[in-house]
Amino acid sequence: MEQLCNKFAELIKFDSWGCYPKGYDRATHGPYDPSRYYGKPDTPFSQVKIRDLPDWFARREKGFKPFASLISRAHWRWQMRYMHPKRGTAAPLWQLIFAGMTVGYIANYARLRGHRHYKYH
Amino acid sequence: MLSRLSFRHIPSQLKAIAACGIQTSAVKSSSEPRPKRPVEAPRVRFGFIPDEWFQLFHPKTGVTGPYVFLTTFGTYLVSKEWYVLEDEYYTGLCLLSIFLFATYKVGPKLGAYLDKEIDAVENNLNSSREEEIADCKAIIQNLEKEKWSSEAQLMIYDIKKQNVLMQLEANYRENLAIAYTEVKKLLDYHSQIDGINRRISQKHMVQWITNSVLKAITPEQEKTNLLQCIKDLETLSAKA
Repeated sequence: MEQLCNKFAELIKFDSWGCYPKGYDRATHGPYDPSRYYGKPDTPFSQVKIRDLPDWFARREKGFKPFASLISRAHWRWQMRYMHPKRGTAAPLWQLIFAGMTVGYIANYARLRGHRHYKYH
Repeated sequence: MLSRLSFRHIPSQLKAIAACGIQTSAVKSSSEPRPKRPVEAPRVRFGFIPDEWFQLFHPKTGVTGPYVFLTTFGTYLVSKEWYVLEDEYYTGLCLLSIFLFATYKVGPKLGAYLDKEIDAVENNLNSSREEEIADCKAIIQNLEKEKWSSEAQLMIYDIKKQNVLMQLEANYRENLAIAYTEVKKLLDYHSQIDGINRRISQKHMVQWITNSVLKAITPEQEKTNLLQCIKDLETLSAKA
């Protein structure tokens, strides 16, 4: 039973939970910034040429953890830019509303497309 | 014995600390700038679309490009019915109009109120820190004053020293005077004793001499003396 538990903990990499990302070093990077990627920097996605896109994607780390940290970083970046300023605006609320609308529309698309008015476009 | 040995080693240990600095386990601070909380939110268009997304279009399409893209893409979605205009769409429009109305009516007031509250919170947080700093500064000032006033202690020491010296001097002079008067008293006493002795012996001598002289006078001698006296008187009266 104990071995099984250990195996499971190893499988989910329990040791690394709650730790700083691998590349982070306090002495060189300063205080931890949750919105920053501490791995080896690659070309930013917005500057990748379309023909380099497959290569660029092949270089990316894939898996649950990298994806989760990607979402986490993006969320922190958004939060630090829009939610945390001292003189904030309503922009993040509108962004949430519109993002929710888009996600909701896509999620319900299978049902909504039954309401189309025209047969031929 | 051992403790004395360890004391003897203290200077060398101090020197070791001076040579290599105090070692701590704390991580050295890096030269990276510390993240700072922004004051103003970044610029957005239509109230929520980040300005950078518009900037992305500018090199290729010019300033109107993103607007053209939004309109054309919207019309494409609607005309091909990728975006179906069913009842949820009209509900959304109603909600949007209500939200926009609220934004334009209540928004500025709410914004001003929230800014005020944020300022109050910040001031509240800052004030305790500033109070602490002010307290520390006051303590430092106090200590400086103490230092300055302790310099007066040197003067006071000097004055006390002078005072003690003066007291010693006074004491010395007093002692001198006492010694002088005591010696004088003794000498006076001795001189008086001497004087009295001499007077008494003189008196005694005179008495003894007269007594012995008187004893030595015989009646004959007295008689002759008397006669001689009478004779002298006679001669004297004759002369007169």
